[in-house]
Amino acid sequence: MRAYSASSEEALLTRTLLKDWAGEGFITESQHRRMEQETACELRCTNIFLRIVLFLFTLVILGAAAALCFVVFRLQPAAQSAGIFLLIFAAVSYATAEFAVSRARLYRYGIEEALATCSVGFLCAGLQAVLFSGQRYSPKPDGTELLVPAIGAIVSLWIWHRFGFPYAFLAAMIFVLLLPGYWTSSHSAQHLIVAAFYAAGLIIVATVRSRDRLTYLDYRYSIVEALLWLGIYLAINLHLSSADLLKQWWGGPQITAEFSRTFYWITWVLIWCLPPVVLARGLRRKDRRVIAVGAIMAILTLVTNKPYLGGQRHTWDPMLLGAFLIGVALFIRRWLAHGPGEIRHGFTAKRLSGKDKRWMNAGSAAVGLVSANSITLSPQTASRDFHFDGGDAGGGGASSDF
Amino acid sequence: MTTLARLEQWKEHGVISPEQHALLAGLSRGEPFSLFLELNILLYAGILAFVAGLGWTVSTWSQQLGDVLVVTVLSAMLAACFWYCFSRAPAWSPSEVSSPSLVFDYLLYLGALIWSVELAYLESRMHLLSGQWDLYVLTTAALFFFLAYRFDNRFVLSLALSSLAGWFGLAISHWPSHQEVAYRKYAILYSLFVGIAGTLLQRRGLKPHFFGTYLNVAANVLFWALLSGVFTRQHYVLWFLALLACCGASLAWGLPRREFSFVAYAAVYGYVGVSSILIRDIQTATALLSYFVITGIAMLAMLVQIARRFGREV
Repeated sequence: MRAYSASSEEALLTRTLLKDWAGEGFITESQHRRMEQETACELRCTNIFLRIVLFLFTLVILGAAAALCFVVFRLQPAAQSAGIFLLIFAAVSYATAEFAVSRARLYRYGIEEALATCSVGFLCAGLQAVLFSGQRYSPKPDGTELLVPAIGAIVSLWIWHRFGFPYAFLAAMIFVLLLPGYWTSSHSAQHLIVAAFYAAGLIIVATVRSRDRLTYLDYRYSIVEALLWLGIYLAINLHLSSADLLKQWWGGPQITAEFSRTFYWITWVLIWCLPPVVLARGLRRKDRRVIAVGAIMAILTLVTNKPYLGGQRHTWDPMLLGAFLIGVALFIRRWLAHGPGEIRHGFTAKRLSGKDKRWMNAGSAAVGLVSANSITLSPQTASRDFHFDGGDAGGGGASSDF
Repeated sequence: MTTLARLEQWKEHGVISPEQHALLAGLSRGEPFSLFLELNILLYAGILAFVAGLGWTVSTWSQQLGDVLVVTVLSAMLAACFWYCFSRAPAWSPSEVSSPSLVFDYLLYLGALIWSVELAYLESRMHLLSGQWDLYVLTTAALFFFLAYRFDNRFVLSLALSSLAGWFGLAISHWPSHQEVAYRKYAILYSLFVGIAGTLLQRRGLKPHFFGTYLNVAANVLFWALLSGVFTRQHYVLWFLALLACCGASLAWGLPRREFSFVAYAAVYGYVGVSSILIRDIQTATALLSYFVITGIAMLAMLVQIARRFGREV
């Protein structure tokens, strides 16, 4: 069922760990070489930059090829014949992705990823054109239009299962978001249905995952579990998942009118209950991604608590949040540092992997790149009414606006 | 075979010692589990949120709070940050120095951001330099470079490079006309300055690990500037030739050193630049789309060759 054998994926995982350990000096270079020889596998990988560029160029080729067919055969985008072409394109893209994996043994190479991703896009667009050509895309009472997102979700799940691309699972979650709109017009029910879908997925993943602890599958399920937790949270937090989010945050009508009072306050209780549950699960399983999602949820809860309670926002709210985050980080660090060997309950604040350092270096460089590109000030800002917007003048990045 | 099983096998075959086995098996199981990255991200997010709130509060309530109070509080915070850093810093070394504590780098970063807020406040309220913002920005860049090199801090180095870019931008804003052309030229000047300065500092052994940051910033600014020149309808040939030369240099730099970000820059910026020239006179959609299919395949084939020869990751 899976495109890659378990032994190949395990070998790749081991090789990644060996590289990290060699970089940190836990094993010598000669040990590394010998161990690498014993973990050789036939899969062809590449580094992240080439992977992204290969992905982009494959997307360009596929998009241009599909558009070329439309132009050459004079197809109308909404016509049934165009839909059939798109379905053929979907099949060809998927078959090519399978070929790239089975024959060329590509693994996270960008090309097979773009092919598989496009196959889902072509399939959904093709189905839409074949089944509903000439009709407006809108929720119908008979609900037949839900076929497109439903099939999109199923195929995305298949691609995640077959190739292991985490973003395919994310795509499936996004397709699921579209489904409740075809069943009910009640906003509360829509939120509940989405949360129920994600919760069902979470139960399945948690059950399956317990069998694969410390294997390559554990890594794969870890991402999926984190995504599902985040999905549930976003579906429940009405101040994040509402359609008119930006309007409400900037003084628009309150969303309390959209939902019943009971539902509204139950979700408020839930957004406070979920983060500790997720954090506790992540810490118990020592799952980095679930811990990260738990922390993100906790921060989002703090940020959305005031809008939930109808409280007035103050300019110093971000300061308090920042001080709180700094305080929590320092407290945890000190608490861990005072344990024997700077370890408490199996956790440490020390850096144990070279990967962490690489992430930090890349992150700080990226901050520099982003600010360097956005730093150039417009001429009028040199006047006496200069607005110190975004901390640009000092490159500070602070959201100050004088 | 899982990693743990392999480690067991390697221990039995004498490839690794029992001590190494214990350490590596523990790391594989997440024992101990490092929260280093998470705590760093939490601190970074906290600092950003704090400074954002500080700037917002000061700008909104400055009338009510009064200049004296605002400046006193900001100065006190700035002094506290810098006092902590200067009093706890290890002796300066030209090579890489690890941070004395988790919070050290972030307090320095906080201090640098507060400096920016305070400077902006002083100028916007008191107009001390009569709107000569470029002087403020240049001073700030100089201070940030000093702090980055004194305390070996990449975050502050990034701020310094950004501030320097801001100074270049402000200097041009005083110019009367042809600002688009001037911006492009000064962007190129900036990138050359940053690239050359980074190279010289690396050659002299002054924090050579900063070189990557210099080079990435310089390369991106240079490519953007050249691309903007290529996009113009007139006098684009020189810009185009310069872009091709830079793509070649980027490839020549990146491939032997396995710095694949530079290979990616050459591929993407080069493709966009060349395509913008070649598709200018294409009239039909068929020809245009055929161009993208054919050149896309050609690029893919070339990149696959590069990836096979140089870019194998594990």
